[in-house]
Amino acid sequence: MTDFWNRLTIGQKLAITAWLFLAIPLVFYITIRFYPTFEAFYVSTLKWNLLGAKKAIGFKNYIKIFADEDFWLVLWNTIKYALVGVPVSMLIAFVIAYWLNEIHFGHDMIRAMYFIPFLTTAVAMAWVWRWFYQPLPIGYFNIMLSWMGIPQQPFLKSVTQALYAIMAPAVWAGLGFQIVIFIAGIRAIPRSYFEAAEIDGAGRWQILREITLPALKPTMIFLTVVSTIGFLRIFDQVYTMSADSAGGPLNSTKPLVLMIYEFAFDEFKLGRASALTVILFMILLVVSLVQLWLMRKHK
Amino acid sequence: MAEVRLEGVHKLFGSVVAVEDFNLSIGSSEFVVFVGPSGCGKSTTLRMLAGLEDVTSGSISIDGRAVNNVHPKDRDIAMVFQNYALYPHLNVFDNISFGLRAKRLPKDEIAKRTNEAAEILGLGDLLKRRPGELSGGQKQRVAMGRAIVRKPKVFLFDEPLSNLDAKLRHKMRAEMKILHQRVQTTTVYVTHDQVEAMTLADRIVIMNEGHIEQVGTPDEVYKHPASQFVASFIGSPAMNFATGRIEASGKTMSLRTDSGTSLDLAGCGVAEGTMVQLGFRPEHMELADTAKPARGHVSIAGSITVVEPMGHETVLTCDAGFGEIVGKYEGERRFQPGETVKFHIRADRLHYFDLKTGLRI
Ligand SMILES: Nc1ncnc2c1ncn2[C@@H]1O[C@H](COP(=O)(O)OP(=O)(O)OP(=O)(O)O)[C@@H](O)[C@H]1O
Ligand SMILES: [Mg+2]
Repeated sequence: MTDFWNRLTIGQKLAITAWLFLAIPLVFYITIRFYPTFEAFYVSTLKWNLLGAKKAIGFKNYIKIFADEDFWLVLWNTIKYALVGVPVSMLIAFVIAYWLNEIHFGHDMIRAMYFIPFLTTAVAMAWVWRWFYQPLPIGYFNIMLSWMGIPQQPFLKSVTQALYAIMAPAVWAGLGFQIVIFIAGIRAIPRSYFEAAEIDGAGRWQILREITLPALKPTMIFLTVVSTIGFLRIFDQVYTMSADSAGGPLNSTKPLVLMIYEFAFDEFKLGRASALTVILFMILLVVSLVQLWLMRKHK
Repeated sequence: MAEVRLEGVHKLFGSVVAVEDFNLSIGSSEFVVFVGPSGCGKSTTLRMLAGLEDVTSGSISIDGRAVNNVHPKDRDIAMVFQNYALYPHLNVFDNISFGLRAKRLPKDEIAKRTNEAAEILGLGDLLKRRPGELSGGQKQRVAMGRAIVRKPKVFLFDEPLSNLDAKLRHKMRAEMKILHQRVQTTTVYVTHDQVEAMTLADRIVIMNEGHIEQVGTPDEVYKHPASQFVASFIGSPAMNFATGRIEASGKTMSLRTDSGTSLDLAGCGVAEGTMVQLGFRPEHMELADTAKPARGHVSIAGSITVVEPMGHETVLTCDAGFGEIVGKYEGERRFQPGETVKFHIRADRLHYFDLKTGLRI
């Protein structure tokens, strides 16, 4: 054995050592992560209510899903969460990170303040926000509106407002993470770029456009993907906050994950739930692949 | 073209004194080089001139205007950084024209001036490239282009050549000189390379631990170093030193070194009893056959410890009894370690420095 080991090149020894360390997480991932995923593919071709017999029905689950009007509404809701939530949260996070980077006094404390929501349970926060949205005399937002002389808003009870009202705490919860990543990105830009630009007479806007933002491109790609995936999987906030029924009113806030949950645990249609899971998985896979491609292209 | 004045400039970082009582006035079109060991405050002084660092006390003026509280962009200066600070996402053209765009000049004016600068620096074919696709020397040229295109009152360079290999450095040094002769812009140039300082400068400012040791032309600092520090810093190989006490017996003066040896000094003007450091340069030591020196010469003998043939000359390290000395020999003779050699030095090429203050006597 030692003989065998001694005959290896340094590169081979390194590779073997590295693989030994990687083996444990690899086994973990295969059993805990990949296996259920493949299982979901299999179950998605079954008619199964968790207790009774499994019956193979091919692609019928998928056909039913695509024929279901509610699915398309839910898919559109899910996309809206990501389509609006991602740019809005990134813009807010960048503006805060940009200015936070300029100040030194209280920097760490303010950063911590933004980060705390990220560490808090989504459900607990959602409850607090739900309370904010209540009508007079309880809800803060309506109290503020009445101070400003603006008419009361239904928020969670409105088919048009509820989705955005639920999106707000999700955006807020993710800000801390995005800010920290943005600040790290900004700090990684060599100071001499800014000094050279300052001497060259560049204004804030030119520096931002020609130096800071281009340098942050990898950071932004990363954050876009992470938060897109986050918004596409939104669940806690909706489940906790939506009015009437989960995902209500009138399914106007229901995202894919909630629909999966209902199929599986309210209606015990395991096959249908799995098929929906597979669809979500495919969407997330495409998003991740696009990121990989963008990152590689950027290098 | 502008004059630059620094008066009583101090810079503290917390309790660290980076620059101390810095007084200098730089003439219009002058090329001034700051030189000194690492950490002596060269960059800090330059950055104060640029406005990147606040001045703790004292005043800086450019072209007669006090600029202590003037923003870098309003000082009309250009600076080249050691790492060039080229913007990685912009191509060469956009890098060079960055400052012109900042000034919102018309497009055709920007193109004209940028192309002109690129032409001067031989960058014409590289305008579309990104900095990542350039060699070290090309990057250096782009950085210079970014500076000259703005036609500023003052150029500031912080070790612009230190990332280049020896050959390229030599070439860029020459280009730098030609460029200065052409544009005649007042220039402050920081380096820790004394060869760069000697070859480029109209005047050299030698700094040590935050203060100025000497300001003078390359010739002055070489021939009349104001202190032992300057004497040891300028020149390569470095000046040799012997420490001791000046003694007199009758008309002849001598140096009684710490190790007890005595060196006869022809016609020395230093008072008897003074503790001195005697300095003499390797290139002023002439190899001699006799121990007895000619009139007005001093003789020093030593046994060779290291022989370094350099082709056109040979550098000899010798043990002279009072310490190690380095001599230069130009000629065909070959040497062996252990051999005893004698050098004669013209007495007017000896330098005396007060042992305590380090100042020239
Ligand atoms: N931002 C800073 N904070 C604290 N001390 C500093 C700072 N910048 C420089 N110093 C100190 O000031 C002194 C002068 O530094 P400076 O960078 O001017 O040296 P230098 O002559 O340019 O050296 P080098 O040849 O290594 O570049 C050093 O002792 C350094 O440690
Ligand atoms: Mg420096």
